[in-house]
Amino acid sequence: MAETAAPRKSREGWRGRFLASPYLLLIPAAIALAGVSIYPLFYGVRASVTHYLYGRDFGFNGLTNYRNVWHDEFFRQAMVTTAKYVVCAVTIETLLGLGLALLVSREIRFGGPIRVGLILPMTIAPVVVGVMWRLLYDSGVGVTDPLFQLFGASPPDVLAHDTSAFISVVLVDVWEWTPLIFLILLAGLQSLPQEPLEAARVDGAGRVRLFLDHTLPMLRPVLFVAITLRVIDAIGTFDQIYVLTKGGPGTATRLISIYAYNTAFLFTQYGQAAAMLIALLAMVMLLMIVAVRMMRKSLR
Amino acid sequence: MSDSTTSERSSRSYTRRQIVKGALGTGAVLGLSPLAAACGGGSSSSGSSGGAGGGSITIGSFSDPAMVPFRDVFLKKFTAETGIKVNYHETNYDAWFQNSKTDGLNKTGAYDIYVMDDNWVPEYAASGIVQSLDKLGLKVNPDILAKGLDQGYWPPKSGPRLQAFANDTPELFSLVIIDDVEILYYNKDYFPTAPVTWDDILNVAKTKSHPPSLYGWSPRGVAGNPIVQTYLPLLNSYGGNFANDDWSPGFAGPEGVGALERLFEFIPYMPSGIAAFDTSQETAVMLQGHCTAMTEYTGTAHVVDDPTQSKVVGKIDFAATPKQVKSGPAIGTFICGIASGAPNTAGAVKFLEWFTSSKVQKEFAGGGSAAVTGSALRDATLSAKYRWLPAIADAVDNSIPKPRTPDEPKMEDLLGTELNQALVQAISQKSGYTQIAQSHLTAAANQITAYLKQQGTYGF
Repeated sequence: MAETAAPRKSREGWRGRFLASPYLLLIPAAIALAGVSIYPLFYGVRASVTHYLYGRDFGFNGLTNYRNVWHDEFFRQAMVTTAKYVVCAVTIETLLGLGLALLVSREIRFGGPIRVGLILPMTIAPVVVGVMWRLLYDSGVGVTDPLFQLFGASPPDVLAHDTSAFISVVLVDVWEWTPLIFLILLAGLQSLPQEPLEAARVDGAGRVRLFLDHTLPMLRPVLFVAITLRVIDAIGTFDQIYVLTKGGPGTATRLISIYAYNTAFLFTQYGQAAAMLIALLAMVMLLMIVAVRMMRKSLR
Repeated sequence: MSDSTTSERSSRSYTRRQIVKGALGTGAVLGLSPLAAACGGGSSSSGSSGGAGGGSITIGSFSDPAMVPFRDVFLKKFTAETGIKVNYHETNYDAWFQNSKTDGLNKTGAYDIYVMDDNWVPEYAASGIVQSLDKLGLKVNPDILAKGLDQGYWPPKSGPRLQAFANDTPELFSLVIIDDVEILYYNKDYFPTAPVTWDDILNVAKTKSHPPSLYGWSPRGVAGNPIVQTYLPLLNSYGGNFANDDWSPGFAGPEGVGALERLFEFIPYMPSGIAAFDTSQETAVMLQGHCTAMTEYTGTAHVVDDPTQSKVVGKIDFAATPKQVKSGPAIGTFICGIASGAPNTAGAVKFLEWFTSSKVQKEFAGGGSAAVTGSALRDATLSAKYRWLPAIADAVDNSIPKPRTPDEPKMEDLLGTELNQALVQAISQKSGYTQIAQSHLTAAANQITAYLKQQGTYGF
């Protein structure tokens, strides 16, 4: 009995170690992930419940930062502006991206160069995009005002008025990021199964019916991914708007990212800036959960 | 904002001890001390590793065109004269603000001298990021213009003070190295003599400007700091204040409203897109010869006679900003503090004394730079060559500093946002200026008061 127990014990030990080894091997990756992803998030949450005065830490502050943020009318304004910006930009980008993808997905002459040309804007750094468009819009040296004057209209001074400045920053986003949606949808369109489409064609479906009843439903998951990616990205837009308008005129283009940046680095209110961004993160996550559920429901 | 919240916030107040101790807390929270100390190579607070007769000092700065002669010429000159080597690191403004603050709070010893914007002084001095120059025995050159020198004192010698520092004796924590101040730029073709009042500028705008080829005034209108810089010389000249001695806003009364109305009166004679104008657009209009006058900091003075950048070479002259009741340009100096963890304080003190000496300042002004001593700025030979120098001296003498508090950027943002909105509204309505000015200035005043209450350091 004693002779057989020892080898069995040893075999069990080996088996245990063998079963544990994948988890052991995951430890370095888990530590790296915790270091670069979870710790900053934890630090952000911690900062949001800390009282900072003139950049200095005065300890735990409960939910005061969140309360201050809630009562801050500029934060609410920035949230509304961000929501308007995201809705306008992503809607236009989706419609344009879809249209372009449908156009280019068919074999056309010069299809390759056209595709390359269409994706060029998104390869440019957002700061450079901001500078470029600033030069175009500028009242002094830009091309917009002279163009209007050429046709006898008064110069619009696009960046000097609330509505035109807002439209102009949305346009810049559309110009830069429509290619991303175009690219994702083009890939989606080219990977759609052809059989259902051909069957519908044989049944006499026209182009519109084919698109509405077959292409669009099959493309919906890809469309959802594209829109989700763009919404998340558009909420965090900073560079080009900072270069173009710095959030002005007034607060017309002040997105939450710009307001949080100013709050942290100009006004040294780190706690409130962290609270703003954590609140925003919570809202985005909530939005995404709702969107995913709606998507699943519609797919069923 | 609800009343209960306001009272809850206003019940919080801070003592000086709390503010200074908080600095130590931040160091611990950041957890950067050991790392930074390891990188910086020491944590001595007042030791002298090099001594005044040798060794090295390290200066950190934000990059700015005005710093080029300082960096390229005078650091080498100092080394040649004293044998003290100077290491110089510069980065962009925002990054340097954060880096220097973290460095000072952690006393890393990485830097001896911080080149700062003058509005950093309250925070840096109050929380011990920089050392008292008085305590280090720095000898101040009496030739330095008083208003420029005053920017380095904490608590401020005049104007409102944070409650926790109300009864302290002012000490010199930073020393001015470049007197950057707002001056009036005017085109001599349209002004035979220097305009003295805002009425003079407006009269020329009305009679001689014909937009878009010639404007009567070119201001900065972007929300935040830029439009506040446009408004302050007007506000001060009408007898208003950014903040009164009890921290109540001093711009929502008749003086502030009158000053803003005066800005609106220029609307027909200004470029139509001014609400989006910052320094580059504003000065471009002036340098292209499309404008009769503007107020701007001294940085633009160097380029007015540069034919590659200016079409009005020799035509622009300079003066202190116009007055109505008095002249009141805003001042924004480049100022140096000695780091809390400076390893070579003796070398740092020697450098600051050397650079602000009358002899070196005269050499500095000899390149057209905004020196800080009266003898350099008013030197007849130099003034003939660089005609903006005496205007800088006059402007510094008349200057009115912005409120000395770490909350000044937030106050400026709140006022600047309302000013920009008022300007946009006035441009589109073209009438009802008094009502527009009053409503926006009152809104800004209320926002600033609520914010200061929330901060809990102002005694209300």
